[in-house]
Amino acid sequence: MKIMTVKKRERHKNTFYQILSVASVLGLIGLWIYISSTSRFPTPGDIWERMIKMFQYPIKGKNIFGHLLASLQRVMIALSFCWTFGLAFGILLGWNQKCRAFLEPLFSAFRAVPPLAWIPLITLWFGIGEFPKILIVIMGGLPPIVVNTQAGIANVQQLYLDVGTIFHANRRQMLFQIALPSALDAVLAGIKNSMSSAWVVVLAAEMLGGKSGVGFLISRGMDSMDMPLILLAMIAIGSVSALFAIALNTIERIACPWLLKKK
Amino acid sequence: MEQTEYKVRVEHLTKYFGDLHVLDDISFNIRKGEFLCVVGPTGCGKTTFLNLLTRIIAPTSGELYIDGIPADPKKHNLAFVFQEPSAMPWLTVEKNLRFGLEIKKIPKDEADRRVEEILKLLGLGDFRNFYPHQLSVSTAQRIIIGRAFIMHPDLLLMDEPYGQMDIKLRFYLEDEVIKLWKELKSTVVFITHNIEEAVYLADRVLILTNKPASIKEEVIIDLPRPRDVVDSKFIAYRKYITDQIKWW
Ligand SMILES: Nc1ncnc2c1ncn2[C@@H]1O[C@H](COP(=O)(O)OP(=O)(O)OP(=O)(O)O)[C@@H](O)[C@H]1O
Ligand SMILES: [Mg+2]
Repeated sequence: MKIMTVKKRERHKNTFYQILSVASVLGLIGLWIYISSTSRFPTPGDIWERMIKMFQYPIKGKNIFGHLLASLQRVMIALSFCWTFGLAFGILLGWNQKCRAFLEPLFSAFRAVPPLAWIPLITLWFGIGEFPKILIVIMGGLPPIVVNTQAGIANVQQLYLDVGTIFHANRRQMLFQIALPSALDAVLAGIKNSMSSAWVVVLAAEMLGGKSGVGFLISRGMDSMDMPLILLAMIAIGSVSALFAIALNTIERIACPWLLKKK
Repeated sequence: MEQTEYKVRVEHLTKYFGDLHVLDDISFNIRKGEFLCVVGPTGCGKTTFLNLLTRIIAPTSGELYIDGIPADPKKHNLAFVFQEPSAMPWLTVEKNLRFGLEIKKIPKDEADRRVEEILKLLGLGDFRNFYPHQLSVSTAQRIIIGRAFIMHPDLLLMDEPYGQMDIKLRFYLEDEVIKLWKELKSTVVFITHNIEEAVYLADRVLILTNKPASIKEEVIIDLPRPRDVVDSKFIAYRKYITDQIKWW
């Protein structure tokens, strides 16, 4: 009887929290509708119409999904590079004292320069094609994964390494069976951070030059005072990054169930 | 000739951590096949001694020999039950048990057999796919004990392994470690705070002094096994050792 009421109360509490979450979103939309009805700010309907219009009159040959795909492609190419090489480089820095001593100052110097500051140089060297954009995104996505992996590997608990010593694990086993799995939560945090910074950088790169991508749409909207277009691009990009974050969290939950205890 | 009789020889072992003098010129031997219990006050250097034996840390001076050669976990089949929870959090119970077997490349069918045996022995069968954080502390500690037993070590080092257990489980596991020790004819070094446990298990009990630790006394427990904790001789031993350490 008592257990029943406790469970019930628990359920009520959860429902209450869900209602709160929904309420905040509804509140935002309500506020938006209110503001747009009293000013020249576009309504949700305007944005919907703008999207439909884009199917009839594509911008530079692409509708919203085409542009989204262009940005997505840049981000994914850059991130797959970052995640392989950044991971390897982070492991190297975290595991090998000599490499760390030799390479860390260079990497810190590189990291201290925001990726967007490279745009002029990269444009000078490589022009304004696809490759320089991806290169800049790589520069944005690389540091988080390297830094997190390195910290995770370097901070592996001594006790776990001692367990390896007792079973006389060799260096390779110590790395792949102890240090790397214990660093996995740091690596995952690095992957998430690199993803968000890749989106930031790709938008900025596209806004500064180019003929496709969501960033391009935003700067085009700015030039032509096309407010619905800007908002459409913002919503598109927000939805896609949110979907990515959800996907990553789901992968994390399935692949690393032991990390759940911290939440 | 005489040296080969000993599993472990400890000669003038001294350890400083910076200025902190932990072990002071300790010398003793452990016979092959002996069950040795070490009791000593908290923080006197018991864990440090085991860490020296496994080369996890290096002695300040003195020598440690296992089987007549300088101690080195690469050369000996030793296993360690750590005092702290040291089950790998990213492995399930079963994979934790397999951890050492995989590192030492024990053939799969042999490994499978041993895993089933240990799961049963330690009552971990129901938890085989659980992660350590889903278990109680004493259940998680059983993983660490199993991880050591499963290696069939000829030198088994246990650092207060049963501290977290309730009486029933402790009695059971005390009998299990005796069983394992007899079956494998291994040598066991068992650290404990519990004097009854020491008298129940040991061929010989080593009593350490406060830090810097040296050997205060050795007590040979000359009782037949299985031992009876309410036997008058058993109680006499327990009382004697308790008296030796009263001033802790
Ligand atoms: N790595 C280290 N660096 C510095 N001091 C240490 C280190 N390891 C242990 N000590 C110190 O050495 C002393 C002995 O520690 P040790 O862990 O060996 O004690 P113990 O006998 O195992 O104690 P307990 O009964 O609590 O397990 C303690 O004072 C401890 O603070
Ligand atoms: Mg200790």
